[in-house]
Amino acid sequence: MRIQIQIFLGTLFLVATGAILIFVGLREDERMAEFERYQKAQQIEVGAELFEINCRGCHGLRGEGIPGLAPPLNDRHFFTERLAEVGWQGSLEDYIIATVSTGRQVSTRPDKYPGAGKPAMPTWSDRFGGPLRDDQIRSIAAFIMNWEATALGEVALETLPTPETEAADPITRGRAAFETYGCVGCHTIEGISSGAVGPNLTHIASHAGERKAGMTAEAYIRESILDPAAYLVEGYDDLMPKTFADTIPADELEDLIAFLLAQE
Amino acid sequence: MFGLNFQRLRQQAREAFERRVRIITAGLSIAELRALLRGDPPTEKPNPRYRVHVTSFLFHIRPKFYLRGSTIFTHTFRLGFFTMFFFVLELITGLILMIYYTPSPAEAYNSILNLMSNVPYGKLLRDLHRLGAEGMVIFTALHMLRTYLTGSYKKERSFTWLTGVVLLLITLFLSFSGYLLPWDQLAYWAVTIGTSMAEAAPLFGKELNLLLRGAPDIGAGGLLRFYLLHVILLPLLAIWFISIHYYKVSREHGISLPAKFEEDESLPKEAVKRAKQRVDYLPDLFTHELFLTSLGLFILVVLTAFFYSAPLEHIANPQQTPLDTKAPWYFWWLQGMLKLGDKTLMGIILPTLIFGLLFAVPYLDRNPYRMAYRRPVAIALGVLATLTIVVLSYMGLPQYKIETPAATRIIQDLAPEEGLGELRAIPFEQLQPGVYEVNATEPENLCPEMDFGCPALEAVFAEFSERVNEAVEAGKLPEAQAVLVIEAWQADLVKVTPRILWLDPESGTRKSYERHIFLHRDHNRNE
Repeated sequence: MRIQIQIFLGTLFLVATGAILIFVGLREDERMAEFERYQKAQQIEVGAELFEINCRGCHGLRGEGIPGLAPPLNDRHFFTERLAEVGWQGSLEDYIIATVSTGRQVSTRPDKYPGAGKPAMPTWSDRFGGPLRDDQIRSIAAFIMNWEATALGEVALETLPTPETEAADPITRGRAAFETYGCVGCHTIEGISSGAVGPNLTHIASHAGERKAGMTAEAYIRESILDPAAYLVEGYDDLMPKTFADTIPADELEDLIAFLLAQE
Repeated sequence: MFGLNFQRLRQQAREAFERRVRIITAGLSIAELRALLRGDPPTEKPNPRYRVHVTSFLFHIRPKFYLRGSTIFTHTFRLGFFTMFFFVLELITGLILMIYYTPSPAEAYNSILNLMSNVPYGKLLRDLHRLGAEGMVIFTALHMLRTYLTGSYKKERSFTWLTGVVLLLITLFLSFSGYLLPWDQLAYWAVTIGTSMAEAAPLFGKELNLLLRGAPDIGAGGLLRFYLLHVILLPLLAIWFISIHYYKVSREHGISLPAKFEEDESLPKEAVKRAKQRVDYLPDLFTHELFLTSLGLFILVVLTAFFYSAPLEHIANPQQTPLDTKAPWYFWWLQGMLKLGDKTLMGIILPTLIFGLLFAVPYLDRNPYRMAYRRPVAIALGVLATLTIVVLSYMGLPQYKIETPAATRIIQDLAPEEGLGELRAIPFEQLQPGVYEVNATEPENLCPEMDFGCPALEAVFAEFSERVNEAVEAGKLPEAQAVLVIEAWQADLVKVTPRILWLDPESGTRKSYERHIFLHRDHNRNE
């Protein structure tokens, strides 16, 4: 009698297992599509992080570009006209992947966006000596592509009533300006940025006063921002944009100088 | 004369059919098969069910019978059977998974993504394989514990115990070598920790580490090595040792009887006699095994279909060490030991000694008795060892004795680098852009403009505030200022910045810690 019960229950379990498998099977298409969407979302999230670490310095915090340095990636022009402009045959996503991977030796619009020196944009793929893996570059491309909806005006984003970066002290505000105006793309301040195009500014306050005879540290920093060619540190070329006198508002300039004077 | 004799034809056909059936079933007739399934006595003499054990290979390696006493459920709990069940399950699911897998750093993670997004039943297979691996480790360990506690490793079974300890090691390495294959952060760092242990081995540590990883760091070489270990060498070793282990049980000494039937003089004679009766493999044990198999399959499929998902973190990134790295749970005890002392002593010498002791158990324990009360020292040691493993495992957790700065801890707990966390579990619609400052923003009714408010966001903000205030009270974050900033970043993408500023008493300056977390609408929020 015992055996029959086991056979009976065993058969029941097998049938139930089969039923569950069929039930799972019916949902598989839906599940796979869901996973793909989820995967795409994760790619965009990862790309956003990578953009903030690697691209923000030149292309702006939100991809708005920095005049005199690097072009915007979040505007209508980029999504509708850029491919024709450079004569690219493939998709925009492929164009982004290719550009990020190899970088750009010479700017295509040297008058407006000369880039950060030579090369105008560094190589990013580790296949060509850059720091990023191909999957990371694909993530960045997915993130940039996600600007399409706002660039074409299909979606409008809600902006915060007060900028969250608005801090009480000038040094904190200056740090934000240091990021906003793309200084981080070329200059290293340990713990904040890692650019190698321009001089390291980690201890700028300590030697700014010694650069030019008779000039205080503050005056030297101010001159270097507004008229970069006035004095060149040995070993560096004249590559810094000359546009900051026009683009940085006076109050933010004071903040930026205060921030740099705090880097002892 | 030309008329067909249907009766004779039918007779001939039946006989021909019967002959074929007997060839396939290694000698059983149709009537016998029926009787077997129904649990009826044999239909022929001599008992044709015994002949099967001689004529069929698969039945030849199974036992003809076990003693009734040894089949009592509470004696074995079928732990050994289920270990084998898991092993076969791993072989089958593993073979199918191999079709979709490429063992190279550039492709491995993509293989898993493809399996999940493009292969019907792909997720189920992966979950089964993963859960089966965990099950196999658990059941191997429990099987060993049971054998120890019932004293079943003694006398003629000592060599069987020894092969069992080998199988425990093989099981652990099988599971661990499979851990690396998805090539995600979890895998990469767990295996980096694991193989760095090899480096601590005296004399040839560096060489051993190189041999395992194929390079100073785990890369293409290391992945291929682990893959080949996982799919060829270790399974072959496992099959070899399982064969020895099982053959000893099935053909030499059988499953041990519960000790009382051998040692308890006060037991009535009939009970002992009954315990020593034979239970034939065909049909009783066979039927029972079929039953257990279908039960096991059913439970596993229910678990994987509705409750369990094998973890998959971000793709392995050698440049970024995750905050809370930990070994697989069955090596937590080792991680705990490593916190107690030197890497060579705690990571290599002591574990070698521990396994040496395990191997030697039957040879060290000269006490001939098996009943618990007649071997109090052995039982006490066994219980003590089990408790020690549990305590050491607890000490192996990242929460134990690893001091993370308060601000980092709070934000990491809220939004862990890997896995979901409370912040990522907030439904996208509730992530209302804004600046929420701890102790300044009114924590209730954060989203008055939403129809149903944002209870999940409120809960997370409340949790954040509570943790910060606790840390302030504990003196860890003097003069703390904490905000949670949510910004709309792109279409369907928000950026969340938890930020904590505090006064560092040592340097007297203000410090800050923040993380930038991007959340997309389609992110899976119910993992």
